[in-house]
Amino acid sequence: MSYQEKKTIVSILTGLLILTYYCFYAYGKYQSGVVAINDLAFWARTMLLFIAISIVATIVIQIVFNILLSIAIAVQETARTGKSDDKEIEKTIESEMVTDEMDRLIEMKSMRIGFFFAGIGFIIALGAVALDYSAAIMIQIIFISFHLGSLLEAFTQLYFYRRGIKHG
Amino acid sequence: MAKKLQITNNIRRFRFFANEMTQKQLAEKIGASRQTIVAIEAGKYSPSLELAFRIADAFGVEIGEVFDYKIIEKEK
Repeated sequence: MSYQEKKTIVSILTGLLILTYYCFYAYGKYQSGVVAINDLAFWARTMLLFIAISIVATIVIQIVFNILLSIAIAVQETARTGKSDDKEIEKTIESEMVTDEMDRLIEMKSMRIGFFFAGIGFIIALGAVALDYSAAIMIQIIFISFHLGSLLEAFTQLYFYRRGIKHG
Repeated sequence: MAKKLQITNNIRRFRFFANEMTQKQLAEKIGASRQTIVAIEAGKYSPSLELAFRIADAFGVEIGEVFDYKIIEKEK
């Protein structure tokens, strides 16, 4: 499994973790009766908080992942060659983590699919308001569809890495 | 009518004749990832013209010797 695939799996797990946590948190708050579904300010604050958590968690998890992967590569390289040459290990790590045109093409195509899904979520959210649902429901749909869009993007990336990708 | 093409390559053969060059060595030489070389060899990815030229250059041959195409079907 390549570095890019491992990185994508880590981002899927992070995204799933955050979305699950948000759903439990939001549902718990709503069920406990502490917050009304129409309390737009509360939901906006909660979503902003979760966006911040999501950004920080993604950065931290990716850094930890890169460190662990570098250690694993260094151990493997030392075991394979029988010597600990720092420059050679550094070169191997760099070559494993290189991003090239295929990665960019996969990223671009999967991002388009992710944004398409988020766009559908936005239309559904507008439809909900048109059907007289509250604005809080609208932002819930938008928030969740963007998160799901991001997850779909990561799954699509994984699919393209496995099945291959063509130009055009 | 445009014809559907399948791009094939002889990278594996050229690597063999280049003193059993590994995929990793080729990737380093052309500034791509090993994953990309694996995908190109397996026919799962068609490289850009620039990368194709770089691959041919790494073996010191013309691009047409490394990459070829075949018509697989006609579009209706």
